[in-house]
Order: sequence, then C-alpha cells, then structure tokens
Amino acid sequence: MSAIQLSRVTKRFGDVVAVRELDLTVEPGEIYGFLGPNGAGKSTTINMLLDFVRPTEGTVEVLDHPVETAGAELRERIGVLPEGFDVYSRLSGRKHIEFAIESKDVDDDPDEILERVGLREAADRDAGGYSKGMRQRLALGMALVGEPELLILDEPSSGLDPGGAKEMREIVEREADRGATVFFSSHVLGQVEAVCDRVGILHEGELVTEDSIEGLRADSDTEETLILTVDDATDDDLTAVRALDGVSGAAVDGTTVTVSCESGAKTDVISTLSAAGIEIQDIETESTSLEELFLSYTDGEGVVEKEGGQTGAASHEPPTPEGSQ
Amino acid sequence: MSWLVVARKDFEDSIRSRWLVGLTAVFVLLISAAAYFARPEPGQEVSANAILQLAGDFFVGTLVPLIALVVAYNAITGEQDSGSLKLLLSLPHSRGDVVFGKVAGRSAALSTAIIAGFVLPAIVLAIGPFTLEIGAYLGYTLLVALLASVFVAIAVGWSAAAPSQRIALGGAIGLYFLFVPFWDFIQLRLQLAIGSLPEWVPLTSETVGNLLFLANPSSAYSGLTGALFAGEFLSGETASLQLSALSMLLFWLLAAPLVGLLIFERRDL
Repeated sequence: MSAIQLSRVTKRFGDVVAVRELDLTVEPGEIYGFLGPNGAGKSTTINMLLDFVRPTEGTVEVLDHPVETAGAELRERIGVLPEGFDVYSRLSGRKHIEFAIESKDVDDDPDEILERVGLREAADRDAGGYSKGMRQRLALGMALVGEPELLILDEPSSGLDPGGAKEMREIVEREADRGATVFFSSHVLGQVEAVCDRVGILHEGELVTEDSIEGLRADSDTEETLILTVDDATDDDLTAVRALDGVSGAAVDGTTVTVSCESGAKTDVISTLSAAGIEIQDIETESTSLEELFLSYTDGEGVVEKEGGQTGAASHEPPTPEGSQ
Repeated sequence: MSWLVVARKDFEDSIRSRWLVGLTAVFVLLISAAAYFARPEPGQEVSANAILQLAGDFFVGTLVPLIALVVAYNAITGEQDSGSLKLLLSLPHSRGDVVFGKVAGRSAALSTAIIAGFVLPAIVLAIGPFTLEIGAYLGYTLLVALLASVFVAIAVGWSAAAPSQRIALGGAIGLYFLFVPFWDFIQLRLQLAIGSLPEWVPLTSETVGNLLFLANPSSAYSGLTGALFAGEFLSGETASLQLSALSMLLFWLLAAPLVGLLIFERRDL
C-alpha cells in the first residue's frame, strides 16, 4: 500500500529527457516535499501522476491504481492544485467551489471551504478579477473539496505573500492531521523544510537525494562549505571539482566559488582549481547549512527562502536562473 | 453523469459572455429584416413561414455554421492555452466528459441565442399582418438549433484534435469553406469521379449523389426545412431521404467529437 509509486519512470519530449528513471514512493499519511529548481522535472512528474502526460517508460501508480487505466474515478479521491492553471474568469469563486463539489459528487458546504482558504469575502465576485494569490487560494479550495485521501499540490505557494504561504502550510498540516497524504512540489526550501516528513530533491530529471529533514541536517553537519575568492572561473572549470571524492556540489558566481565537501577533500579541491589555472585569492570555510546543501545538490540552481518568505540571497549564493518567484 | 456537470458549467460560463447577447440581437435583427422584406400589401396577410424561407435563403444556411464554428473552435484549445483545462481535468472528469460536455454546453448556449432570437420577433409578428403557424415556426427554429449544434460538434471535435489554437482557427475556417461555399463543387467532382461504378457495387449513382449531398450538414438541413415548409416533414415522397438527412445530422453530432476525442486521448497536455 502506497499513496504514490513511480517505478523507473522516464519521460522524453522529443530529444529532451524531462524525467530519467525515477523511482519514488510516497507512504500513506506522510507529507512529502518534492524539491528542485525550476525545470528539474517536478511538474512533468506531477503531470504524469494526473495522467495529463504519459510516461515514455515505467509505471505510475496513485493510491495503488495505475493512473493510465484507472480513469477519472481515481481523481474523486485526490485533491489537486495544478501548476500553470487559470480560473474561469466569468464565474464567481463560489461557482468554482460548487463546480468542484458537483464534480466530486459530495455535499460539502462551499462557504466553509471558502472560509478556510480566506475567500469568503470575495466569494461572489467573478474569479477573473482575482489576483494571482487569490486564484491560487481558489484552486486550493477546489482541491480540498471532498476530504481527499491524497493532495497533490504543484508549487502551492507561488503567488502567495509570506502570510498566505504560512496559511497554506497550516492547511497542509491540518489535512495531514486528518489522515491525508500530501505531496507537494516547491523550488523553495523554506516552504518544504517547515512541514515535510520527507524530502526528495530532483535535479535534471533525476532524484539526487531523498531523506527526512533531520537526515538532511545530519548530512549537512558533516559537510563543510569552502568559499573561495578567485580571479575568474566558469561553470566548466568546476566539472573536475565535482568529480572529486567527497565533493557533493560546487557552484560559481562571478569571482566566488562555493564548494560543499567533506573536510578531508578541501586540499584536493584547491589543488584541482589551481591546476585548472585559476588563481585563488582568498579561502573561507563554513559548516554547511541546509540551504547550502540544497544548493549543492542542484549545482547552485535553487532558491533558498528563509521562514517568513524573503527570497534569500545567502551571501555567496549564485544568481538563480529563474529569478522571479 | 460527469459530462453533464461539465456541460452545465460550460453553459453557465457561455451565457455570461457578451457574444451570446450579441448573437441573440443579431438574430432578432435579421428576422426583423426578413419580415420587412416579406411584408404583405396592406390589407393582406402573409404566413410567417415566408419570413423564415426568406431568412433561410439569405442568411441562416451560411451564417449559422459560421457562428457555430467561431463560438466553438477554441472550446478545448482555448482552455488548454489559458490553463483552465488543468483545473477541469484535476477534477474527476475524463477527457471524454470534457469533449462531450463542451459540445452539449456550447450547443445549448448557442441554441438559447437562436431560440430567443427567432421566437422573440415571432411574437411581435403574430400581432402584425402575419399568420403564425406555430408548429412550422418552432420546428424550423429547432432545426436551426440542430444545424448549429452539428457545427458546434464539428468545431469541438476539431478543437480537441488540434495541437494549437492557431491550427484550431485555421481548421475551423477551412471546414466552413468546405461545407458552405465549396461543397457543391466538391460534390459534383466526386460524383463525376465515381460516376461509372462497376456493376457489382450495389449502389446506383443516384444513391451516391444523395449520400454526398446529405453528407454535408448544411444540405441535410436545407432538405429538412424544405420538407417542413411543404408540410411534409418526415412524410410524403421524400420521407426516407429526410430520415437519412436527420440520421446524417445525428451522425455528425456524435462522430465529429468522437474522432476528436480519439486524438485528444493520446495527447500530452
């Protein structure tokens, strides 16, 4: 019995491999955070869970049913907050919730749901006039209809202000207390860290690590971060560094090179960089934080967000390619 | 009945849009214009059917398919572009529920505009110098609604199959030209091409001609309305031909969305 089971799932779009031989199991009742930078394959994976997109290889099971053959009934037991969705602009918020109630054939009270997601006041306005955050709340409300066994939330906090993101986390926790399994994706560590029982980090279509937050913390404690000020370095220069034993990741931002590694590997890192003709001007060492560990797993492509919601430019964090969030 | 839930939502969404009110007004205006041209000499009375025949000649057969294609070509592709399709398919609806729900919802919305647009002026006309044969008038209005629904079904089917909004629009324009201005020409060509059938084919060239004629929903519709005005709806000499015409319309109504669905089912969203 598992809530979600992906076995050796690969998805190709033409020549592009979006997801590569992914094995992933989510146990009933847990809150699973699916973490990774934008473009890592998180949405493709979620789209496969919902049968929006079909895997090139491998099998996808949700609530012990293969999604491809399970049909629409399976989604009666699932609440979904999709990514990149839009609302029906001419219908009110209440109509949307009522539509979800009719679709799932349950007798929930629309007002109660609207209250939970903070849209009671705006319920009778056309959803076309809603802000991004309100649309996000509305879709979450639609997902909560019918007390689903499994909630699949794709980037649920996008468009929400810090207060809204906190409410979102509280709703997730309440749903888990009720017994629901929650699977949610994020490119922001801070959102996942606070609520998840387990975290999987996806990078370039592959699951690079999967552990509890405590487990990740224990990992980060044995690691050190080497912050080097150099004359000039490119990402290509770091390939050799990443290949070293004991190095879990490396990133470059202008003249700052950040390497996460075991203490014993530090001299190897420095000599490898010197051998590549890079002049090292300054060396600093820090113990690795969870944020840095995340960055190291994703080669620096991630957004670290502290509790409270500011996009954290950790002092030596490389610029994020997705920038906006 | 999941498709009914989708249909109702699509209907509610459509009737809130401005195009529906606009279309109703257009139909009222066109019927009024036809009434003006068909108006009797002072002291005489004319059947309201004359208005409909005039309307039929001068706009219904060409305009209604166009309107139906325009209101329905983006039924699926539009929702896919905006992302509301994800919201719809996140709920327990199959892709089939979505396609057939859209056909039903949008046909119902367009039929509402047609029925309101035809019936409202009729009430006014009946007070004036027209005699209203209610059965024929309502029957005609319903046939127009059926014609509209068939073209909605064709457009939704195409919309489900089309990989992008642009192709959906291009296809809708193509379908219009195929069925409305060019069909006679195509029919003639096909008929000539298969004019001399080998003996073993159990079809006469007349049957083939009829089949090609009726395969176009517009001509099937005009066959039916002609019979309706002649007082021979589904009866008289052409009864079996009319029945074929009606079957052909119902065939399009189901087959077009079904073919679209087969392609839509296989696609990554």
